[in-house]
Amino acid sequence: MKRIVLIPLLALAALLVAQPPTTSWPTYHGDYTGRRFSPLTKINDKNVSGLSTAWSYKTGVGGGLKSTPLMIDGILYFTAPDHVWAVDARNGKEIWHKAFATKGGWHIGNRGVGINGNWLFFLTPDCQIISLNLKDGSERWRKQNCDLDQFYYGSMAPMIVKNKVIAGVSGDDLDRPGYLTAYDPETGDQKWRWSVVPLKKGDPGSESWPNEEAMKHGGGMTWQMPTYDPDLNLIYITTGNPQPVIAHANRKGDNLFTGCVVALNADTGKMVWYFQASPHDTHDWDSTQVPVLIDGEIDGRPRKLLAMAARNGYYFLLDRTNGKNIVTAPYTKPNWAKGIRPSGSPEPDPAKQPQVDGALVTPNQGGATNWPPPTFSPQTGLFYVSASRAFSVYYIFDPDLANPQGWGGTDRGGATLSSSVEAIDYKTGKIRWSHKWETPGGRGGLLSTAGNLVFTGDNSSNFVALNATTGDPLWHAKLTSGVSNGAISYELDGRQYVVVGAGDTLWSFAMKK
Amino acid sequence: MRTLWVCLVAAVLAGAQEPASVFQNVCGKCHPPEAVVTPRSRTEWQDTITKMVDLGAKMSPEERVILLDYLSATYAPGAAGPRGGRAGRGGRGGGPTLNGAPLDRHVVDPEAANRGRAVWVAECIECHGTSARGTDKGKNLIQSDMVLHDRYGSTLVPFLAKGHPMQSGRKSSALSKLEVADLSHFIHERVYDTLRGSPIFQPQQLLTGDAKAGEAWFNGAGKCSTCHSATGDLKGIGGRYDTATLQGRFLFPRGGGGRGGRGGGGGGGKQLTLTITPPNGPAVTGAPVVFDDFDVSVRDEKGEVHAFTRSPQLKVVRNDPFAMHDQLLDVYTDKNMHDMLAYLVTLK
Repeated sequence: MKRIVLIPLLALAALLVAQPPTTSWPTYHGDYTGRRFSPLTKINDKNVSGLSTAWSYKTGVGGGLKSTPLMIDGILYFTAPDHVWAVDARNGKEIWHKAFATKGGWHIGNRGVGINGNWLFFLTPDCQIISLNLKDGSERWRKQNCDLDQFYYGSMAPMIVKNKVIAGVSGDDLDRPGYLTAYDPETGDQKWRWSVVPLKKGDPGSESWPNEEAMKHGGGMTWQMPTYDPDLNLIYITTGNPQPVIAHANRKGDNLFTGCVVALNADTGKMVWYFQASPHDTHDWDSTQVPVLIDGEIDGRPRKLLAMAARNGYYFLLDRTNGKNIVTAPYTKPNWAKGIRPSGSPEPDPAKQPQVDGALVTPNQGGATNWPPPTFSPQTGLFYVSASRAFSVYYIFDPDLANPQGWGGTDRGGATLSSSVEAIDYKTGKIRWSHKWETPGGRGGLLSTAGNLVFTGDNSSNFVALNATTGDPLWHAKLTSGVSNGAISYELDGRQYVVVGAGDTLWSFAMKK
Repeated sequence: MRTLWVCLVAAVLAGAQEPASVFQNVCGKCHPPEAVVTPRSRTEWQDTITKMVDLGAKMSPEERVILLDYLSATYAPGAAGPRGGRAGRGGRGGGPTLNGAPLDRHVVDPEAANRGRAVWVAECIECHGTSARGTDKGKNLIQSDMVLHDRYGSTLVPFLAKGHPMQSGRKSSALSKLEVADLSHFIHERVYDTLRGSPIFQPQQLLTGDAKAGEAWFNGAGKCSTCHSATGDLKGIGGRYDTATLQGRFLFPRGGGGRGGRGGGGGGGKQLTLTITPPNGPAVTGAPVVFDDFDVSVRDEKGEVHAFTRSPQLKVVRNDPFAMHDQLLDVYTDKNMHDMLAYLVTLK
């Protein structure tokens, strides 16, 4: 069998920003930019009607396959909570599968693995970071990434940057601080750890909390996969909501650096800049959406940009060298902000914060979008995001109004009025086209390709290809469940594949031979 | 043009389904079972199922009823849970797992927690507060790593043995191991009560509106009286639901209440229908079975399914009885919403 020679990942660093690879999919996002754009054109808007199933692999493990497979040297590596698989990328045959006995932790999903050389890294729900041999899945080392007793858990896919394994934490139930850690890939020793929230008075951001007790328990989980600019040596990490999540009387202030995009020095883990998408969030709107790196042009000048469509309903465009805001624009119709600050952050409307008797809010807790990846096509200049317009009522439940803990309330009821793919002009934040699904509710991740296609899922278990320029649906395959991750694409032996997860099955599509 | 006529015998399907299988088949598509076990009241399960449907979960009306019954019974706060080994080690009162807590964790014995409450009131409450959340004089114990790592006194016993101030002036080392274990049960109960799904995780006072203003909105700006009547379809509605459910139902009738769920008949039996007109055939109207960019099929009143491939020549019209409710979501102020609730609860 023909094998593609693997280029060492470190050497790929520059390539991963300039041009995503075509014969591999070496990181969660496909490259370091988070654009999830494939330059492959063999499958395109002219011939996509000939796309058909190449193979499928059923994991047999319940729960949606939320992992993005990494494809290296003809093999796909992917996960579910407590499980890792290696599957032949040409035919879907299992090469190895490892299952791990769990000690607990929320099994809500696992986004996948990070790979460095011959070694693979992943997080377990019960707070371990584990390194496996790529060849046979044998375990090399494991370290504790968080404390299960504190209701943390693991779900994100580690990212490899400059010989470091970058891993975040999940957990939203008991007022714990979020953090991001860099581990040595060889030994698992900690190289640096960045705390999302300040831990003592005087630390940067501490002015946005009422006291040390509040900031030390202030949340901000790090469960989205970061992006990275090798030229600037900056890691871009997005952070979750503050805690207590819904009832908020004991955390007055903006609650930095929750609900933010933060740029960290990759060598030291020190913060270089931040931008807050949701100051003092009270709606469980983690800002953990993908910070997409775009090398674009604004007012005729080439700029290093960062774009994010946040769960709170706003699209942001930033200068990624310094975090300065260029565009803030709603991409659904959020009703929770009463204006935009000079910094570009929306200003929360106190009336739309959760109330004892309820506040009618849009987006709902699920958000205008959520973790499923968006995509950016440099060909069309469009940022594509899976969007929902939904309302719900936010209540405060905790009778201890002055000192709530945990969540202290939630939203109830709700209606999703529409679900769509929104194609946003990255420069202006204006919607270029919107494709509404007939049946609302879908939340598929997205992939764009140089074949003028956008791949995603609708709410009727279809895997769909849209025309990237117009949004017209061009092709679909009926799957056994809704799309549950973001698709990837690669070329092997001259054949382009598109691979997507739905339910417990990984599906592969290619042109009929 | 392709037209298929399929007879459905839905009741057979419903009768044949085991609740646990429905749970696996419907919820298991997106969640492993471990993720679906936060204990919730029946009302909360109803809300959760509605939310899942909004997020794309697929289930028939019959499955929805089966699921609601199953989840409400199996995953109620303090329920036994479905799986012996795991559930037996679960959270408060031996219940199911709590939001991904460790399998090896302190399981609260309610009787021991009650005994611990007496120790708490006698020795701890002045500094650590009623709910163990601390005061100016003492730490928040539900945030204490030592408490979270404790199992039946494993960390508290050695800590208190070293000496810790107590209200009565007694030495903390004088507390028996059993008393400390009871205290541990009481404090862990406070921790678990903080979590989503706990018995205290419920709406409080929702009735803050002005019933008269609500009535005026109902008959005036809200245009509710165009379709509804306080003495007709809504007669007695204030007595049929708790206030939180009632609020959900008038705001979000499409999903609120659930078909056959608590109170039953969500949306008054109304549902979205489609009228499909092929270029060379009669129009058919029915509830959507499949409705996407490529295919559309409806189940008509007789239970027959009519399926079509979509094309520009195939006319599809939505008949949405909830369209006005959807539009109102952009119109309501929170005051309108509170006033409407205050008015509707008077319709007894």
